[in-house]
Amino acid sequence: MSFLQPLLLIGLPLALLPLIIHLIHRHRHRTVEWAAMLFLIDARKMNKGMARLRQILILAMRVVAVAMLIFAASRPLSGGALSLAGGKAETIIILLDRSASMEQQILETGESKRLAALKKLSDLIEKTGKSSEVVLIDSATLEPLIVTSLIDLGAIPQTEATSTAADIPAMLQVAYDYLASNQSGRTDIWLASDQRESDWNPASKRWQSLRVDLAASNNVRLFLLNFPESSAANFSIQISNVQRLSNPQAFELMFDLKITRDADQVLGPVSVPVEFIVNGTRTVEEITLTDRETILLGHTIPLGNSDQRGWGRISLPADDNLLDNIAYLVFDDPAQRKTVIVSNDPSTSEAITAAAGAPVKIGADYNAVSFTEDSVAEIPWQETALLFWHAPIPSNSSIESSLLKQHVNSGRTLVLLPPEASNTSESLFGFSWNAWKEGDQSPLGIGWWRTESGLLANTRSGDPLPIGDLKLFKVRLFEGESQSLLTLETGESVISKLLFDQLSRPSGEIYAWGTLPRDGYSTLASDGVAFFVMLHRALDAGAFAASKARSRNASFGALSDAISVNPLSTSQEIQIEPDLGAGAYEVSPPRGDALLFALNRPYTEDSVKTVTSEGISSLLKGVDYRQISDELGSGSTLALEVWRAFLTAMALALIAEAILCIPPKPELEGSRILQTPVVGN
Amino acid sequence: MSDSIQRDFLDPAVLGRLMGLPLKSRHSMVGSVSGRHRSPVKGSALEFAQYRKYVPGDDTRRLDWRTWGRTDRYYIKEFEADTNLRLCFIVDTSGSMAFGEAAQTRLDYARRIAGSLAYIAAQQGDAVGLCSDSGGFDHEIPAKRGALHLGIVFDQLTKLKASGDSKLVTAIHQAAEKISQRALIVIISDLLFDPAPLREALQHLRFRKHDVALFHLLDQQEVDFDFDHPTRFVDMEGGASFLADPSLIERRYRDAVTNYFKEIDEIMNHSIIDYHRVLMNEPYEQALARFLMGRNPKTARSAR
Repeated sequence: MSFLQPLLLIGLPLALLPLIIHLIHRHRHRTVEWAAMLFLIDARKMNKGMARLRQILILAMRVVAVAMLIFAASRPLSGGALSLAGGKAETIIILLDRSASMEQQILETGESKRLAALKKLSDLIEKTGKSSEVVLIDSATLEPLIVTSLIDLGAIPQTEATSTAADIPAMLQVAYDYLASNQSGRTDIWLASDQRESDWNPASKRWQSLRVDLAASNNVRLFLLNFPESSAANFSIQISNVQRLSNPQAFELMFDLKITRDADQVLGPVSVPVEFIVNGTRTVEEITLTDRETILLGHTIPLGNSDQRGWGRISLPADDNLLDNIAYLVFDDPAQRKTVIVSNDPSTSEAITAAAGAPVKIGADYNAVSFTEDSVAEIPWQETALLFWHAPIPSNSSIESSLLKQHVNSGRTLVLLPPEASNTSESLFGFSWNAWKEGDQSPLGIGWWRTESGLLANTRSGDPLPIGDLKLFKVRLFEGESQSLLTLETGESVISKLLFDQLSRPSGEIYAWGTLPRDGYSTLASDGVAFFVMLHRALDAGAFAASKARSRNASFGALSDAISVNPLSTSQEIQIEPDLGAGAYEVSPPRGDALLFALNRPYTEDSVKTVTSEGISSLLKGVDYRQISDELGSGSTLALEVWRAFLTAMALALIAEAILCIPPKPELEGSRILQTPVVGN
Repeated sequence: MSDSIQRDFLDPAVLGRLMGLPLKSRHSMVGSVSGRHRSPVKGSALEFAQYRKYVPGDDTRRLDWRTWGRTDRYYIKEFEADTNLRLCFIVDTSGSMAFGEAAQTRLDYARRIAGSLAYIAAQQGDAVGLCSDSGGFDHEIPAKRGALHLGIVFDQLTKLKASGDSKLVTAIHQAAEKISQRALIVIISDLLFDPAPLREALQHLRFRKHDVALFHLLDQQEVDFDFDHPTRFVDMEGGASFLADPSLIERRYRDAVTNYFKEIDEIMNHSIIDYHRVLMNEPYEQALARFLMGRNPKTARSAR
């Protein structure tokens, strides 16, 4: 229990005033010579039961009434359903989800979930935490910031809206590390989020260690300030696969466009005006949604003859979340699609070289080169968009390891192929190879493959890749946090995309293929369709990083390799780092010509799926935490002034005292006996 | 020296009004002289008593010749004998008898009742005696007739002082033993003690064929217990004092009073005592008038 006027509690001994008055009243008695002591003694004997208890209760009620009055005057605070009991925290850590989904707002007031959370937390700190150290950890930067001015958390740049995603386990880990390194005493951690499953990442294995660490922290209490409500009618837009096509007559811009609406109930077809601004030219097109989402694959926009290079912005009308209404794109000459294979196996090298060198897109320059394990130093790293690593995983301290990390961190794609060597001790990016698995005289059965995204996603026309025709004879299993793209019947992954947390997420993508495109291992090379598509999709992803026009997810450090950043168009003003907001940027790299960057929010931010309370309780099992679910515009506060409750308690105490003071009904028969003299016989 | 003693408990005006109401005994009395009260011995009063058969030796003058003429048998016609009574007061002089306002304590009230009744009895020619429980029977004044003796009784009443514990039960037992002949014994007390022993004492008096009357004097405040503030109650009979909040024990006090009265009533009804509960805010003349009228068969109903 906290108080806004704690000094008034000094007057709490005044609650004993009724008792003191009672004693004074008894002390100031008069003395009477009394004859009928017989009755008095009898009365005292009879008075030792309920009457005495009644008098004690009357006094207690009076004491309680005065105490309640003093408590009410001290302006007590309570968290309503939330109990703030337990004393003040020495440290308050605020974990703020600054992801794009937190910008869902009420249009009339402009109050978003993020602002609502900041307002409530500012109010809470002002009322209860003035003497506490306040540390802010936001989801975008994950940097602990000691807040010295407690006036308004919303005025701190680190609390501004971003188009990034959030990584809740990473935020908790940073908070725990901060506590461990600073040896903070009693600490309250306030986590404000919209409970999105994409941010909470319940499948992450980091929860296990976090759970253990937080449960072992006796002085830490975790408060989850959740805003799980979804919008009644919110539209969001995404673009992907942006390509500038070169026709003989003019340039043309092609991209995939996806419009999604959050409405819980599909209300039928709705027409949405979509605004396209490309190099300053504005067009509006009506797009009709018949279901929850509409995907326009290969949507084209004609460009002018001089529009060889440029940027574009595609936007929807304003709705509940302004940040998911805009998507940015940039375009330039396509980069060379160079594939490098590191392998000592000629069969594998040949299969990959043949597929990677075949041109797919008009105007693009396809090239594939193979190297042996001994000639890694000769690899042209700057030109390579896709690297097949068919060799043992190098040790972390080796040069090869550094080169591979640099390759991926620059946004290019790495495919790890299983080496024959049985060495499994080395790991890279948390990934390591396990044992080989072979079928008994027959191919290994294929379980399922991911069709909605990734290397094995369906084609633009919606047709699935012929993965079912694929035969796998020999597969090497692997370990590492990954998203399975193809699995065996027994559940083991064959092809996966490695996953990383926010802290160590590289710019590029890493895939692990558990089999080889050669005889005796699989029919990837002989039934070449699936292999060809997978390879070129991986190549496209890497080629974006190698091109002069690149698209990335907005995240801390997305533009860190730039010397200078010139915003061409942004949807929001980010004071600290431009890479946290969506927009189109012209970036000067350390070497070479200026690059165009389109930063957009991660697609996962458009998913409205939330973690359930049961899911959270499972994730935080054993941790001292409390959930506070709130809604936008609720007007509630985390720390309520509860003086009314104390005044009510005082009134109840006074009523109880009055009831106890009501004299008992006079006994009529007894009075008659007392008053009427009896005449004997 | 008796002239110097103020007998302010006697009010001539009250006495004048009460003289019209004779003091009568409810039982026959054995007196030494003729008086207004019935005697167990048949005498020559005007009131017919009974017929009985003539036996040799009877006074032939008392033969009823008319009955002899009708029945041819000899009958003696007997008449009631009137005699005087012995009126003896037992006055409680315990400390609690000093309760009351300074102008009229309970003992003052008792003096007025005893003095007035003594005067009325003396005027009827009855003998008057007094004993109090304060000094035992050292100060006992036996019942005698005459104005001089009445003066001694008055003097003794004047000298009575309230102090100490109540010894009324002992005094009653002693009176029952010492007063050999039938008498009208008037007890005046507040009875503020455990009533149980009183039953035996009163039955002792009744066993000796005494006509017993009891004036139970109480103050209205003792019954109502009307106090507002915490009060230290000091026992007037020398017992322990204690502090009490009247608001706490008022109800229980009244319960105790009620129980006490029930027990007293039960004792009085069982002992066939002429019991009068008198609240001291009532004029003593009124209490005496009710007492005197209640003892007269002709006026008893209206008195009740």
